[in-house]
Amino acid sequence: MGAYIKGVGMTRFDVDKRMSFQRINECVSEALESSGMKLDDIDAVFASSTDSGRNEERLKHQGPMLSSLFQKKMPILNVPAGCAGGGAALWDSINYLRSSGCSNVLALGYDTVASMTSEILTDEILMGGERIYEQTEGLNFPAQNALVAQQYMMRHNATEDDLALVALKNHENAFDNPKARFYRKNVTIDMIKNSPVVASPLRLFDCSISVDGAAAAIISRDKTDIEIAGSSLYTSRLSAFESEDMTTWEAASLAAKDAYEEASLTPEDIDFAELHDAFTPIELMSYEDLGFAKKGRGKELIREGITNINGKLPVNVSGGLKAKGHPISPTGLSQVYELVIQMRKQAGKRQVDNIRYGLAQNIGGVGTIATVHILKNLN
Amino acid sequence: MIVRWVCEKDKKKWIYPVERCIYCKGLIKKQISTKAKIVGITKVNISSPLHPIVPYNVILLEDEFGNRMPKKTMKDYRIGDQYSLEKAKTDSAVAMTKIKYDLGDALRHTLGLLRFKFEDFDNVLIKPSIIEPAYPYQAVDTNPQILDELIMLLKEKGISDILVAEQSMPGNDTVAAAKKSGILDVCLKHKIGVADLGKSEYVEKEHEGMRLEIAKEVFERKVINLPIMKTNSQVGISGAMENMIRVTSPKTQKELFDKDIEKTLPLFVKALPGFLTIGDAVSGMQGDGPTSMGEPAFLNILYASRDPVALDAVFAETCMFPLPKCLEEAKNLGVGKADIGEIEIVGDELDTAKFRLKSADREATPHSRIRLLDGKADPASFNGALKMCSSLIGIGGYELYLAIGRHFTQEQLHGKSRIVAYGSDAISVLKNRGIGVIVEIPENAYDAEKIMMLKSVIENKDKTSLK
Repeated sequence: MGAYIKGVGMTRFDVDKRMSFQRINECVSEALESSGMKLDDIDAVFASSTDSGRNEERLKHQGPMLSSLFQKKMPILNVPAGCAGGGAALWDSINYLRSSGCSNVLALGYDTVASMTSEILTDEILMGGERIYEQTEGLNFPAQNALVAQQYMMRHNATEDDLALVALKNHENAFDNPKARFYRKNVTIDMIKNSPVVASPLRLFDCSISVDGAAAAIISRDKTDIEIAGSSLYTSRLSAFESEDMTTWEAASLAAKDAYEEASLTPEDIDFAELHDAFTPIELMSYEDLGFAKKGRGKELIREGITNINGKLPVNVSGGLKAKGHPISPTGLSQVYELVIQMRKQAGKRQVDNIRYGLAQNIGGVGTIATVHILKNLN
Repeated sequence: MIVRWVCEKDKKKWIYPVERCIYCKGLIKKQISTKAKIVGITKVNISSPLHPIVPYNVILLEDEFGNRMPKKTMKDYRIGDQYSLEKAKTDSAVAMTKIKYDLGDALRHTLGLLRFKFEDFDNVLIKPSIIEPAYPYQAVDTNPQILDELIMLLKEKGISDILVAEQSMPGNDTVAAAKKSGILDVCLKHKIGVADLGKSEYVEKEHEGMRLEIAKEVFERKVINLPIMKTNSQVGISGAMENMIRVTSPKTQKELFDKDIEKTLPLFVKALPGFLTIGDAVSGMQGDGPTSMGEPAFLNILYASRDPVALDAVFAETCMFPLPKCLEEAKNLGVGKADIGEIEIVGDELDTAKFRLKSADREATPHSRIRLLDGKADPASFNGALKMCSSLIGIGGYELYLAIGRHFTQEQLHGKSRIVAYGSDAISVLKNRGIGVIVEIPENAYDAEKIMMLKSVIENKDKTSLK
């Protein structure tokens, strides 16, 4: 059975001091409006949130909160999956739609990250990592990704300049995205290369920017202009150091393989992609895990400008997590938002032309859980 | 040391202990490295709650089996360097180990780093902390799992004459505490006796003007001191030194506190035969310890040393506490080393484990309206006062100060009103110093009477005396 996207919505990714329900209201309203639907038409909700909210709204029982907010009784389930929460909510929504016989499902992600910088929040986020080997040994997420980046760079002769090019490209894209944290903010290659080292070799501008946000997508069995051609989720080991090869994230490559198979496509068919660039080297590794480049040759795509907005395969035209922002759970759905508005030619100055297939890759942990969604433009 | 749990048949590996393979149900073998090299390094410049000191390095180790493990270090290494841990060169060294799931391995590893021979131990007295009936997760008493592992290790080394002995705080039942803490079950499992040191025969020892009554078992056996590492509102921390107080008679304990525990504790420890301490910080305690008013802290560390002063000093530094006075005193008396720079630390690096724990509030009681004025009261008065306050939880009212002990500072008493004196020490000292109190509660009053007197004060704002 086919699954289609009716509408999408997202808040501006920024420091947003509103409470979560206000952000949810905004993005769901936008999604409903773009679908020409009312809340009454929604049959179920799969939401993702990491419980990183401010004190006044810390809550484990998110489903009933959404039922109160929507004033509606229906299946509502929270599906936290760390930074892959948005992708997981979408994957669950698609599968529920296909198996339940219902008509429309809302996939939702929301989190408060930037407006609450506290030890509680830091600890919550660090709990996405293993406790005994990683957390107690100082392996926060930048450090984990730094060790992965180092292995990748040593093995494949990638350089810090390659990482800087990824950052520059995504910042240039975010400049024209009104919903991005770095909208209309100039970031130069010098700023990137001279930014402080967070965890060597990663500099500040190699790390995504934390933001608050919410994003939503309405999935429907009614045919629309955008078909979900492929949808896959894989979970791998908890710790990167457990993997035989730290420079390949198996969850991501397996999810891609399944999604391509479902869509009867190959990587060459993809016209543009939104990838999980939580840290710049991850974008390079993802080129390879998704089959856009051979193993070890991801750097060539960025060096040759292939993934630039005017390249053969534009990547992260929204600005990516790097410059649009990374609010954790909404991230995966914000990627789908970008694919949809690009396919509907609503992307303004960053509009990419002639796009038939778009791919969104969302990752949780250090490559431990990944979703890949492929959308087909039927226009 | 990198450990993996391996099913050879199914070629599966786990980073945590798995008893049986989930595929073939076969038994799991441990794969333990003998050497490791450094295959990755990152210098981290951002702090986090468990890692406040930056910069630090995280090195990625890889062993001869290809197993990898991250390790935090303050040292600078290069990729390709071999990684190894040095063993202790001095008898007062402190070994510390961050536990990697397997407590037994961590214990063996920690003791293996010390200059220490099991052959010297023929019969053993294990002295855990069992101060009050509390569940293991409360981190009040020694973790029963570490006792279990220690007994297994001793038996493995051919030591079968083992006695576990402790006395809980006065007013608590030692057997009930041993039962609730899980310690009794471990002893029953190993068919090892549990002695109540509060009912022991004591050896009298004159030392530095004190007449100490010390349980005879301390002189008849090799002592392995097994404290849980905690905060202590009276002496800063409960650990290697404080835990040994309870090898003395209740009378001696009172004398030690009456003469100012911060000064007498080092003198007392000096009077003891040498002992080995294994500090249990599997889950240590922070906040208002040492009783169940404190809260468990995630430390995940084992300490070991033959120098109790050094071990306590290393623990205090781990928690980023100032050096407790009694350790300063112990250092001056030559009981042990307390200057971190002078202590040989082997195993995990101290700076990699440091993060700030909540220290104890010296005025805290279980009742939010009752503040404690603790004049270094003896354990009986201290525990009695806390129990009294605990009985009034739920009763609203007005703030009061409950004074116990005899060593009050001017600063402690300054500006305080609505004082209730509990126990003969506080009653007499406050009277002599001309401090007015609302009521004097003798320690030998009936429990119900004590509670009613305190309740009457807390409920009546304007009460100035209890007639």
